[in-house]
Amino acid sequence: MKMFSRQCQAELIRMFRNRYYIFWSLLMPIIFYYIFTKVVSTPDVDADLWKAHYLMSMTTFSVMGSSIMTLGIKMVQERSEGWTLYLKITPLPTSVYFAAKIAAQTVIHLFSIFVIFLAGYIINGVSLSPLQWLLCALWILFGSLPFLAIGTLVGSMKKVETAAGISNLIYMALAVVGGMWMPVEVFPKFMQAISDWLPSNSFAGGAWEIIRGNSPSLQGILLIIGYLFLFMVLSIYIRKRQNA
Amino acid sequence: MEKIIELIHVSKQFQQHRAVNDISFTVKRGEAIAILGANGAGKTTTILLMLGLLQPTNGTVRLFQSDPKVKEVREKIGSMLQETSVMDSLKVKEIIPLVQSYYPHPLSSDQLLSITGLSKQEWNKRTEKLSGGQKRRLHFAIALAGNPELIFLDEPTVGMDINARKAFWKTVEELKSQGKTIIFTTHYLQEADEAAERIIMISDGKIVGDGTPEQLKAKWTKKTISFKETADYSLDMYKSIPFVEEVAREKGRISLVTVDSDKTIYHIFEMKLKIQDIEIQQGKLEEAFSKLLQEKKEEI
Repeated sequence: MKMFSRQCQAELIRMFRNRYYIFWSLLMPIIFYYIFTKVVSTPDVDADLWKAHYLMSMTTFSVMGSSIMTLGIKMVQERSEGWTLYLKITPLPTSVYFAAKIAAQTVIHLFSIFVIFLAGYIINGVSLSPLQWLLCALWILFGSLPFLAIGTLVGSMKKVETAAGISNLIYMALAVVGGMWMPVEVFPKFMQAISDWLPSNSFAGGAWEIIRGNSPSLQGILLIIGYLFLFMVLSIYIRKRQNA
Repeated sequence: MEKIIELIHVSKQFQQHRAVNDISFTVKRGEAIAILGANGAGKTTTILLMLGLLQPTNGTVRLFQSDPKVKEVREKIGSMLQETSVMDSLKVKEIIPLVQSYYPHPLSSDQLLSITGLSKQEWNKRTEKLSGGQKRRLHFAIALAGNPELIFLDEPTVGMDINARKAFWKTVEELKSQGKTIIFTTHYLQEADEAAERIIMISDGKIVGDGTPEQLKAKWTKKTISFKETADYSLDMYKSIPFVEEVAREKGRISLVTVDSDKTIYHIFEMKLKIQDIEIQQGKLEEAFSKLLQEKKEEI
């Protein structure tokens, strides 16, 4: 137990010291939120709804980013530094190592959610019912799972540079096509069709439904679970092949 | 004495390359052993096999009469591997309690911090800001965090300056006096000679020598008999003397390199050669060792 708490503590310290996390997962989404709800003209009809909608877009954008990038790149870094090899000869079980990583990641996500929600409240006075805030936060934690699995896929790459490059690309593509930056309705029809099936769209979509007083669509929930299994199986398969 | 490490006919094949070829040896509690060999001889592979980080293609590896990968064994060993850095973004004084938490009976933080040889200001430095040598010292402390009975050190002094090296070997001496079993690799003969009671020499994945430094010297160093001739003999005649391997004539002296100086001398007297002013010189282990390395290079 002491092993696990120490390990979590160390992982948390490392994440909060990570400048990429502060920049990509906190500053960027908040700046974007400010620009697209304050600077650029917002629709006159349903302006309040747009402000809440875009807040969810940016929060999911942030959490998706730290799931894919922070987890994956740190894993590659630890392996290339030989720390992963060192851990294998200590009594620390791999399961505790991974559990601590995921636990720390969850704490970080909660922190990101809290900070960005607070920014939305301060910047635009976004007001949702306490239950809606809570449900949105829970949905975002749940919906981050397939992206954490993508993170472990990125984590199986050999070089930090490749991992950073590829994960950035995946991240941006998922964010844009998933409708996190701008509503999917402005895209051509075929892009909208692709978007429907992307995990990023289901992820943000669930929160968009909650702020409108609905519950996340069944398709969205199934897609999140489906993608989680797909990426987990892929990740386990790759890990097995690498260890062989 | 209790067997701490046991390798039985262990081989490791990497695709086309046989890195370790049928190695067997046992290590008893309290031994300090150097694995000596050129770069690429198979030292690191041997260490990784002992630690269970590589699976042998053939043969068996046992640590504490058990599988190297079980938790009970892991709790009793500490290792400093090559090219392993320490976890980034943590300060020296943060990483030490982390590693301590992995073991049931760790050394105290004060002991570990003093092993790193780092100053109090440096305890607040993040690990990535440390110099290469400082990182190695920190890694040494991390290797000892669990107060291990068996310590593996793979090329431990690479990247350390002279002072760090001295402090390092002093700590190793202390560990030896506490009865710890220590196994380290090096390609510096001097380090092996000074810090180990037993040297295992590896060349091309095979053990080519295993014994005390003295025993190896006797095995690996040939003696040279030199003298002045009072009659003229041909070099070919000298070559025909049993056990003589090389013959040279220099500045009026003949020198014979022999694998068995006693028997060669006996034959020289038997033949009643007209010679005087005989000297016998012991060869140097350094020479023998560098010869061994050269032979390896030629093979490549």
